[in-house]
Amino acid sequence: MSDVILQATGLHKSYQLGKVSLKVLKGVSLTLQRGEFVAIMGASGSGKSTLLHLLGALDIPDAGTVRFEGRDIFAGGSRARDRLRNATFGFVFQFYHLLPELTVLENTLLPCMVGNSVWSWFSRRHALRRQATEMLERMGLKERLRHRPNELSGGERQRVAIARALANRPRVLLADEPTGNLDAATGREILSVLKSLNEEGQTIVMVTHDPLVAASAHRIVSLVDGRIAARQEAPKAP
Amino acid sequence: MYKLFLCLRYLYKRRIVFFAVGAVCLCVMMVLIVISVMGGFLNMVKDRSRGMLGDLIVESTTLQGFPFYEEFIARLKAEMPDEIHEATPVIITFGTLRFPRNGMTKPVQVVGIDLEETYRVNDFKEGLFYEKYYPGTTHFERQQEPYLGLTKDGQIALPPELEAARRRWEANASPQEIADAWRDQRLLLEVEADDLPKELNRGRIPAGLKRAFENRLFQLPDKVEVAVAKKGKKWLLRHAYGVNTIQRDGDKLKVYYSAYTGPGYFAEPESPLSREGPGWQGRPLPGVILGTDLCAERLRTGGYARYCRRGEMVALAVIPFNPKGGFQEGTGFLTMPLRYVDDCRTGVYDIDSMSVYVSFEQLQDIVNMTAFVPDDRDLDELASEPEGAAATRPSGPAVPARTTQVQIKLKPTVDTRDKVMAARNRVQAIWERVSSEGLAALRDAPNVLDRIEGPVSWVKVQTWEEKQARYIGAVEKEKYLVTILFAVISVVAVFLVGVIFYMIVQQKTRDIGIIKSVGATSLGVAGIFLSYGAAVGVVGGAFGTALGTVFVWYINEIQDLLVWISPSAQVWNPEVYAFDRIPSEVNPSDAIGIYIAAILASVAGALIAAWKASKVWPVEALRYE
Ligand SMILES: Nc1ncnc2c1ncn2[C@@H]1O[C@H](COP(=O)(O)OP(=O)(O)OP(=O)(O)O)[C@@H](O)[C@H]1O
Ligand SMILES: [Mg+2]
Repeated sequence: MSDVILQATGLHKSYQLGKVSLKVLKGVSLTLQRGEFVAIMGASGSGKSTLLHLLGALDIPDAGTVRFEGRDIFAGGSRARDRLRNATFGFVFQFYHLLPELTVLENTLLPCMVGNSVWSWFSRRHALRRQATEMLERMGLKERLRHRPNELSGGERQRVAIARALANRPRVLLADEPTGNLDAATGREILSVLKSLNEEGQTIVMVTHDPLVAASAHRIVSLVDGRIAARQEAPKAP
Repeated sequence: MYKLFLCLRYLYKRRIVFFAVGAVCLCVMMVLIVISVMGGFLNMVKDRSRGMLGDLIVESTTLQGFPFYEEFIARLKAEMPDEIHEATPVIITFGTLRFPRNGMTKPVQVVGIDLEETYRVNDFKEGLFYEKYYPGTTHFERQQEPYLGLTKDGQIALPPELEAARRRWEANASPQEIADAWRDQRLLLEVEADDLPKELNRGRIPAGLKRAFENRLFQLPDKVEVAVAKKGKKWLLRHAYGVNTIQRDGDKLKVYYSAYTGPGYFAEPESPLSREGPGWQGRPLPGVILGTDLCAERLRTGGYARYCRRGEMVALAVIPFNPKGGFQEGTGFLTMPLRYVDDCRTGVYDIDSMSVYVSFEQLQDIVNMTAFVPDDRDLDELASEPEGAAATRPSGPAVPARTTQVQIKLKPTVDTRDKVMAARNRVQAIWERVSSEGLAALRDAPNVLDRIEGPVSWVKVQTWEEKQARYIGAVEKEKYLVTILFAVISVVAVFLVGVIFYMIVQQKTRDIGIIKSVGATSLGVAGIFLSYGAAVGVVGGAFGTALGTVFVWYINEIQDLLVWISPSAQVWNPEVYAFDRIPSEVNPSDAIGIYIAAILASVAGALIAAWKASKVWPVEALRYE
């Protein structure tokens, strides 16, 4: 557990609200080891989501860098970030964010479709589809491949979102309150999915409000006043 | 990949897109129909103008015409054998035409032509009716009126010459043409038993029966004389020129018509029961060809009901002018009785309802355009001359014969505009040479020169296009104007596509954010909407092109249907538009051009929406549920 996969240094981010500038992150630094499961906690509005978006190249910081395996992810321009989001990072959102027109399977395949040209898609579509199907089976959605998101429960939707995030075998999974919209039991289910993924070596960063949920992580990072407040080791060793 | 996939998915998932497709479809259809009809109209105008005029026209638009045309034509044929196919003089003047049978008189344009030469110069022959079905029987020679009669085996027939001509046509005609011409040979009409007049033996044709024949190629005679015989369940009406069989079918009577079985309208003998054979009647008179609309009524169905029988006498009156444009002394209108031998349909109503064609020589003679020796002696001088016919004739050089036009047909090898213009210029040069030589030869006859110098100077050499330039130019401009107008209206469709796509982007901001969050580029997202727009153009344009093409192909049938529903729906009035049918051909390059324009316009319509979609910032789009 020595090699660093993701390293954020001195991240600053502020939002302009009219004439007032709202400083959300004021120099956040964070190092993530390969295979780690980190929970980010903090009060509502403390900038957890903002941080996660910066870590996953979904947004751009005002200052500071994020290095993925030593390379600055903001160095290469928007095309490079698009590619990173597609293949290196997987996002899971609190509100699932599935495309309503597509079936469960198609939603899961979306990153693969984005990542492949028409020709490479057609040559690889069987393998990709099988892979996505396996992923969904693992999420316990074997029977729901042809269903649409609005025919699923919240927990099922979140599992589809996780399957989608994992479709391109990302190096880092970034989950923003994946259990935030779910009841306790369903939340536990999702959490156990994440834990088992982590056990297989998946690096995970998870934002949560819930200390019980955070307890599943190796490490909890607290955001207070735009900075990392304290560093806590997880109660249980992996 | 996702572009294609999402694009297809959205296309049939979003109902609203069908409005865009529909709008594109309608606009494409509209523009295609307008371009096709206007373009077709333009082509018809050009074709007909050329068909009527030949390729080059040498003319004096005056009534007294110009001299030296014989030398001119001879010189043309000698000097330009590779370019000139035929050249023929034509006299155009005006007059009146009277149909003595009903006393109708109409103003007409009188055209003097040489029939054989005209056949070679323009499409005149194609427009003739009787010449088509009775080839070789149309001529300007003195002739009598043919009438129908019974052959020995009881068939109604025309005189043998006409029957033979008709069989000649039949031998060359396709079965379809024969069927078309013979379509109405036997017609079945069902009449309620009570409707049938009791005195069928002798009397007028029942009104219902007559109405059934109104729109046919064949005319039903006014009177029907029948001899009824009963044979089993049939009544046979013998020797009738109208009805010949009546059959009882339940409580209905079926009436079969079989009068004369060929095309046209002919005289019948005084009494059909006379068992007289067919023949020729009346005194021999020169023939005249009438414009079809002069002697027939154009029916809404496109056919004609002729009300003048072949060979019937008509009276044509014209005014002779002297070369200086004055009336010939002591004359006004000169009348000549002629026999209507055929009618010609050029398809241009203004011509077909006004023109009367007679023999060139006859017209030249009657309007005093033949050569003559001018007589400038005054009455006192004449009085002092000794008595005797020969002595009273003036002597000296003659004023040459005149014509008002020379129509020239060029060889098919003269096929480009430049070649036609070159030919025109050579014809012009030859005319100038011929006329100046002609004038020079008459240098010593001032009284002749005085009469022809003016007419010679009024001659113009033009191509058919130049002669019709004002008309063709107007139609051309109209085509462009209307096309531009409709293209501008089509901009509405572009706006509709734009608005609809903008709405979709607005509704789908979150989805766009999702797609971007998994790595789609801004360009890729814009591409979704552009290809979406292109798809709308492809689908809408394809439907529009297909529907427009079908509409144009069946535009006349559609109008017939409208007219059938409501007679006031006759949008294409043949009397106004000169052509009786709406042009109904689609130019493939027009169709392809419009299709491509529709696709480009749809893509352009989607441009703003695509730009907006590409600008979606995923973090913003995904912040809320
Ligand atoms: N686009 C934006 N424009 C203006 N302010 C923003 C924007 N995005 C975030 N903020 C503000 O930044 C602060 C941090 O937001 P962030 O979503 O990161 O909080 P959070 O810790 O995830 O909160 P929560 O736990 O409620 O999800 C909030 O005060 C929010 O109002
Ligand atoms: Mg948040």
